[in-house]
Amino acid sequence: MMILLTGGSGCGKSFYAESLCMKLPKPRYYIAAMRPFGEESERKIARHRKMRDGKGFETVERYTALSSLELPGRGTALLECICNLTANEMFDEEGSYDDPFDRVISGVEALCLQCNDLIVVTNDVGSDGHIYDEGTNAYISALGKINAELAKRADAVYELVCGIPVVRKGALLE
Amino acid sequence: MILIVGGEGAGKRTFAKSLGYRDEDMADACLDNLPVIFHVERLVFDCPEKADTLYDTLLAKEIVICNEVGSGVIPIERSERLGREAVGRLCVWLASRADTVVRMVCGIPSVIKGELQI
Repeated sequence: MMILLTGGSGCGKSFYAESLCMKLPKPRYYIAAMRPFGEESERKIARHRKMRDGKGFETVERYTALSSLELPGRGTALLECICNLTANEMFDEEGSYDDPFDRVISGVEALCLQCNDLIVVTNDVGSDGHIYDEGTNAYISALGKINAELAKRADAVYELVCGIPVVRKGALLE
Repeated sequence: MILIVGGEGAGKRTFAKSLGYRDEDMADACLDNLPVIFHVERLVFDCPEKADTLYDTLLAKEIVICNEVGSGVIPIERSERLGREAVGRLCVWLASRADTVVRMVCGIPSVIKGELQI
């Protein structure tokens, strides 16, 4: 089963994603795509780590090329998040600016095959109405397409609004 | 307390009026004794680190209206990033305590928590 979670900044996606994983069997893997870069991201990572504490997650850091990742066991995986993964695939030294779509989608596909349940966290970044530089516009557009493709493949899609899951596809996990 | 969220121009105040409130019942980003407050996001952006000091005052309101600001590209300015996230977290907190949460899209209300008695 694959569930896609989306929503804006600070809407409670991570907390909700973890609470979903807690309903699903172990082993639980947390696949972290956010590259620690500077004080702010380190603080964010520390906050997420603290929130995951005691929930039985094994953390796997993976910033690009998800398709070659091998999970040590079969169980539940939480991938956080597609926005970082897509940005890494586009703008990292290891990434390829032109085509993040195939790399991200094939990565999620490969991950999906290795676990019973996969929770994927993404974000909506296309709703601020700004016109950005070429690279950023390409990123917004790529992420939008990736999100749509993931939603097509997911069994359920929830949008988190003020911490409340709003069902966009499928049903809430009991 | 009823929490009403939505993007700029989504019809939040118009919806509050449909519940019987008037313009003069609504405070614009100002902590006073009126039953309704709107533009709460502006209060948060003024001082993101102190968003938690708003909790009690906002809980005592009949209606709290806040713009959703978290669905864009991560801003380059640090203060904007912090503000945006603090608005989101404040709304999560308010929603968990609100009796009713309404989300406005194109002027259409969706009740995502509790129920509305109109």
